[in-house]
Order: sequence, then structure tokens, then C-alpha cells
Amino acid sequence: MIGAGNWKRLNWIMVCVENLVLYFLTNMDPSSSSQFVSSRNIGVYDPIHQFTIWEEHFKSNGDSSVYEPEMKLNNQSEDASFGILGTSIKYDHQEANKVTNKMQRRLAQNREAARKSRLKKKAHIQQLESCRLKLLQVEQELDHTKQGLYIGGGLDSNNLGFAGSVNSEIATFKMEYEHWVEELNRQMLELKGALSAHSSDIRIGELVNGLMNHYFKLFCMKSDAAKVDVFYVITGMWKTTAEGFFLWIGGFRPSELLKVLVPLIEPLTEEQRFDAYNLEKSCRQAEDALSQGMEKLQGMLVDTVAAGQLVEGTYIPQMDIAIERLEALASFVNQADHLRQETLQQMSRILTVRQTARWLLALGEYFQRLRDLSKLWTNRPREPA
Amino acid sequence: MHQAIPYMSSHNNNFGNINENYYSNKKKENHASSKGEEKMILNMVSENAVIVIGKRGCCMSHVVKRLLQSLGVNPAIHEVEEEKDEVIVARELESIIEGNVQFPMVFIGGKLFGGLDRLMATHISGELVPLLKQAGALWL
Repeated sequence: MIGAGNWKRLNWIMVCVENLVLYFLTNMDPSSSSQFVSSRNIGVYDPIHQFTIWEEHFKSNGDSSVYEPEMKLNNQSEDASFGILGTSIKYDHQEANKVTNKMQRRLAQNREAARKSRLKKKAHIQQLESCRLKLLQVEQELDHTKQGLYIGGGLDSNNLGFAGSVNSEIATFKMEYEHWVEELNRQMLELKGALSAHSSDIRIGELVNGLMNHYFKLFCMKSDAAKVDVFYVITGMWKTTAEGFFLWIGGFRPSELLKVLVPLIEPLTEEQRFDAYNLEKSCRQAEDALSQGMEKLQGMLVDTVAAGQLVEGTYIPQMDIAIERLEALASFVNQADHLRQETLQQMSRILTVRQTARWLLALGEYFQRLRDLSKLWTNRPREPA
Repeated sequence: MHQAIPYMSSHNNNFGNINENYYSNKKKENHASSKGEEKMILNMVSENAVIVIGKRGCCMSHVVKRLLQSLGVNPAIHEVEEEKDEVIVARELESIIEGNVQFPMVFIGGKLFGGLDRLMATHISGELVPLLKQAGALWL
């Protein structure tokens, strides 16, 4: 049923239609149609069609002012439908301006909408990035929790506690370490290729130096990370579980490595064998000295923490001293890495360039096997509990 | 006036042979206590084949000591107790050291050799033992 208000509207619509028909009948002169951009409505005017459009508009627009609707009618033909209302309509510049204003407004609205959607997209991407980082951190924490459970049991002499907190700098270190490993593998592949291609000694020498510097770079990275969280570095949480099993002050034990790998680079001259043996011996002496220093530090730490009455709330001063002691840990990591660095360099002095290349490849291969072993171990099929 | 200085006298250890121990001990005993305080450190340095000066309770000094002992050397040890001692020592050593005073430091044959870094490096490269022999700290 059509209500009273709607009758009024319907009436008005009919008036518009009449005017429209009248207008076109009286103004068929094409030159006067300059205000109407869209020519397809002229001459092919369908009042029923137009009526339907207006009707739909009124239905959806409810109370909007009666004299305005021509602005929002059928978009495509709005240019044509402007000044239809009223018999004494003046199609002058005012209408033309309305057209350009309309267009400008629309363009502005488009720009605004585009800008808003760009901002939204940016915000969405930023959110994704931060979620990704968070995910990475959570994954690492999970990783370390697992590793901590493995390592915690096997390194009583050097394990001064499982820190558990992985802040963003450590997360960065872990990521950088992953990249470091990738780069290491790439360099090793290159060296392998050069060796089998019988490249010149100079070329091999370059690659060997590059590889050694790459190891030294890791020591720098570790030093920086140790300043942030020395426990993380010294307990080797950034390594795989199998490597962690052989851990000595945050890394590999030089004498072990020499013992295992030197036999693999035979043939060696007598002098070389003698030098290598002495190097191994020197390493062991230095390692023992460092280990004993670490034990002393541990002892002092224990004494500091246990000093005074073991009554709750009275141990604050001891904690300060304890913190000082722990700061000495970072210098132990540095000294251990320094030892590793010196060992690598001394080996390169003892051996020829090609032998050094083979030795470094054996070194890298050894660590890779330990990493693979860790993966196999973690993924081994287990019987349900 | 002799002031009691708290430096660790060499204790019995299993490293090195008896002759060495005796010789090193002799050197320390010769350390004339009648010499002025100010020159004490310098004297210690010049009179001992090997001497390690470090902060008391420092674990790195311990490392240095252990390393030298594992080579068969019996180094003299001088422990610097507190801040003020440190200043005195630093002032004294200014004459023979350029740059900052960093503990622990090792003197071999009356000359400043360096810290733990240098000690490690020369030990690994095999140059330390000949150096010690040259300074008379080690006997074949």
C-alpha cells in the first residue's frame, strides 16, 4: 500500500517526467546541449527507464531533500539529468560548475579513499612483520627450552644456570648466526670446487683467508652477544644439541679438534706432524689454564652467594658482588675465542695452503655432521610413552 | 721501612723441577726489603725472571699463573689489593709502560711482556717457551 507521503513523492515524480519530456521536445537543438556531457541519453530518452531510476533513488534515499536528488541520480546520466526539474531552468555556467565541482569532489573522494587504503595496507604489513618477529622469538624460546633440557644435564662444570630469557638482541644474534652458517657452507662449497679444479695456490689462499676471517667474524659476534647475555653464549644455546654436548666455554675445544682432524690431512711432513703435536699440547695447556680460572670463578661465585646468613632478604650486597663476578664470565668467553682464533692461525702457518684448505673443509664438515646428528636425534622415531 | 706487601709466595706445586723452584725462591728472597716503597714494584720486576701483577681475586690472574706453571715456570705474583694500591702501582709502572695499565700483566726478564692475550698468542705460536728460557725462567 502506498502511504500519503509516498503519494506526494509519486506525484512529484510524474511532474518531473512531464518536464523532462517537455524539455527534450522543446530543446532538441544539439548546440544547446553543451551542458550535457553524456550524449547517449539525448535523443534516446526513455522516461520509463528514468522514472524507474528516480523511483529507486527515492526508495533508498528516504527523506533527502526533494530538490537535491537530481545530483545523485543515475551516475552515468547525471550530467544529463541535472537541470531537468522546473520549467524555467537556466542551463548556464552555474550548472557547468556544478558538473566540474561534482567531478572534483568525486576525484578528491577517490584520492582520499586511495590514501586511506594505502595507510591501511601499510598498517597491516607492519602488524604482520611484528607478528613474524614475535613468532620467531617464541620459536627460539621453545628451541632453547628443549636444548636447555639436554644441555643442563651434561655440563655441570661450566653450566652456571639456564637463563631462559631471550631478548631481541639475542634473537638477532641467533638469526645472524643462521646466516653465518649459510655463508660458511657457501664458502666451503666454493673452496671445495677450487680444490678439485686445481686452482692456483693464490686463489686457494684467498678462499682460505676468507674462510678464516669468516670464523673470526663469528668470534666478534659472540663477543657482542656475550655482553648482552653471557649465559646464552657460554652455554652454547645458539648451537645444536650435539655440538652443545662437546661445548667448552661457549664453543669448540681446540685441542679436541686438532686431535680429530689432523690425521685426516695426511700426508704430513715430519716437521709438520711435530708442529701439529706441539700445537695440540699448547692448546691443552691453555685450555686447562682457562678451565681452572673458570673453576675459581665458580668457587668465588658460590662463596659470594652463600656468604652471610642464608636468611631471606639479607643477601642484597652479596648479589652485587656476584654480579661483578658474573661480568668476568664474558672475558672468559673472549679469551676462549681468542684461543680458538690463534689455533686456527697457527694451523695455517704449519700447513701449506692446500693442506689448510683441506683442514678447514674437514672442520666445517665435522660441525655440519654434528648439526645433522642433532636433527636426526631430535626426529628419531620414539616409542609412545 | 719495609712494608708487608701481600703477595703470594710460591706454594708447593707439582710443576717444574726442584732446581727451578729453588732458584725462583732464591730470587724472591733476595728481594731487598730495605729498598724504598716507591721502587718496590720496579725492583720486583727487574729482579724476577717472571712476575705477574694482578688484582687480588681476579680469575684471569689465576689463569695466567696456571698457564705459566704448566710450562714449568714459577712466576712471582704480586697482588694489587685495592683501588689506591692500583694507582700507586700504575704510577710506578708508567716509567716502563706506555699506555694504560691493564691487569693482569706479565713481566718477563724485567720487561713488560703483556697481558693474557699476548701470553696465549705467543704460547700457541710456540714462541713463549724459548722466550722464557732466554729470560732464565725455564731450565731444560
